[in-house]
Amino acid sequence: MDLSALSTAILQILTPWSFFMLFIGTLLGIVVGAIPGLTGAMLIALTLPLTFYMEPFNAVVLLIAMYVGAISGGLITATLMRMPGTPASVMTTFDGYPMARSGRPGRALGLGITASFVGGLIAWGVLLTITKPLSILATRFGPFEYFTLIMMAMVLIASVSEGSMVKGLISGLLGMLVSMPGVDPASGMPRLTFDWYLLNGGLQLLPVLIGTFAVSQIIADTFDVQKKPERAEVANDRVLMSFRDLKKNAVNMIRSSFIGTGIGILPGIGASIGSVVAYTTAKNVSKTPEKFGTGSEEGIIASEAANNATVGGALIPLIAMGIPGSVIDAILIGALTIHSIQPGPTLFLTNNDIVWAMIATCLLANILMFVLMTSSVRHIASMIYLPRSFVLPVVAMFCVVGSYALNNTMFDVWVMLLFGVIGFMLERAKIPLGPFVIGFVLAPLAEEKLRSGLMMTAGDISPVVTRPFPLAFTIIAVVLLIWPFWTDYKRKRDAKSD
Amino acid sequence: MQKNPITQILVCGFVALICLVFLINAWSLPPGTFEPLGSGPVPLVTAAIVIICCLVIIIGQARILFRGGQIERQFRMEFMTRSPYGPLVTLGLTVVYVTALDLKVASFGIITCVFLTILISALENFRLKSLLPAFIVAVIVSFGVEYMFTNVFVVDLPA
Repeated sequence: MDLSALSTAILQILTPWSFFMLFIGTLLGIVVGAIPGLTGAMLIALTLPLTFYMEPFNAVVLLIAMYVGAISGGLITATLMRMPGTPASVMTTFDGYPMARSGRPGRALGLGITASFVGGLIAWGVLLTITKPLSILATRFGPFEYFTLIMMAMVLIASVSEGSMVKGLISGLLGMLVSMPGVDPASGMPRLTFDWYLLNGGLQLLPVLIGTFAVSQIIADTFDVQKKPERAEVANDRVLMSFRDLKKNAVNMIRSSFIGTGIGILPGIGASIGSVVAYTTAKNVSKTPEKFGTGSEEGIIASEAANNATVGGALIPLIAMGIPGSVIDAILIGALTIHSIQPGPTLFLTNNDIVWAMIATCLLANILMFVLMTSSVRHIASMIYLPRSFVLPVVAMFCVVGSYALNNTMFDVWVMLLFGVIGFMLERAKIPLGPFVIGFVLAPLAEEKLRSGLMMTAGDISPVVTRPFPLAFTIIAVVLLIWPFWTDYKRKRDAKSD
Repeated sequence: MQKNPITQILVCGFVALICLVFLINAWSLPPGTFEPLGSGPVPLVTAAIVIICCLVIIIGQARILFRGGQIERQFRMEFMTRSPYGPLVTLGLTVVYVTALDLKVASFGIITCVFLTILISALENFRLKSLLPAFIVAVIVSFGVEYMFTNVFVVDLPA
């Protein structure tokens, strides 16, 4: 653990311009996370063009602060409107809203904010401790290790996706496929370009991201744009959690934080799954499970501690291996690449300052989130009632500007619109979008590793099963692939025998 | 069980079609000369697996749809319960907006101001009460963004 590098990064973030980035990022993240229909992924994707001309250090501070803020902000809407501001806060709606409706919105928010803070801190501790050792281990990975790791990640993402595993696979593999048009990196020849010169450079990550996450969401949100949310008032002075409360809920908070961190580390699985698992675990071990869903304090704490903990957890595979821990991490990989920074195990060697900026921001943004939310949650909460008929067109305009700014070409804007429609259609068919983006980001790396591995072995694929890591990753992938079908078969067989 | 079999069949059919186009194109790619794999097999295999997965969904959903009978009722339930006014207006006006920017009909600020005024008013069902606020928001946002991007962030804007 390099504490001097960490303290240097912290001091640098506390200089005026970097601190402004930290502040504005955290605040914007909280507000956007709180507004239903707008997500952290959308915010970060739309902010990317603004970072083109920034120092990479400040860009990283801004984006990570937004990430931390956005996951936390979802709590406000989940509690006051029974609408998760971000998908990560779904579980919070079950208990936060009933508690708010029973006249204790400040208490519900206070529990959530403190749990988010503790979850973030614990995950940060893990991030600080294991990222470097893991990156050292990852430097020993060869092409086959990487290829099988990415394949395992894709199967893992598909297997935990909302809906069926087959749909998760469709989404992930479609994302991989649409990343392939362009000049083939190995042969230098165009492929899948349909003789259209505009496709020679391939489809860029930013327009695809903005289209898939922002435009599709805007289209979906305009279905019930006139719907007015229920309003619950909240005061700032009742949101601080007492020491007695902290002591009473310490075990649940710590357990949920570790669950969130662990799930965050798994490649491609984001905050939603973390909060679901932590919530279910808390319910299973609770002395009063019947209270869950009716305004249980334990439920709010479990969900919020876990979803915030996934942020730190998800940054671990990103920094150590260049594998995104969640959709937002996939966008962060894109952001780093735009700034000519290659994420992966050598990041500690090539861009040590950036790594420590990420780690330090994770801590400082978490502290700032706690301060901002406890001191001004009432004002932030009033922003969630902005009419969507005004917000959505403005976001649509930013989508156009954001897509154009990458290469100053209208082609990217049309790509963004096309992927907006595709994303909307996929969502309507209950095909999850997360695997699509992660597939899009990881496919070039997976193909590059496979092809360079095969070049090294003259076409021999056997290292996939003869080397320990590739073998382990392959076995996990196969088990994950077979598991849902096996349980489904067993369930049907048991039903028949009954 | 999902309750929108027709949507799932249509979307999976569309995805399978896209993949089929990719598959046919990948098929004709030449084999690698100095490396064993070449550029074709990866997209080929990926497209093939997506097509198979789509077929699994299509067959499964078709069975559900035909087992239940009442296809017409299902169609109405999936596509006619919610008014598509909002999405259609948003998408349509955004396409017009992007076309206007692409053709450089006017400056970014002016095109954006018109776009925002019309879209906000349309989503507010052209209520008289919302027209002025829509116009004010449109003017502030469009010209504010134009100024910020060109003078502060020094980022080029379309048109």
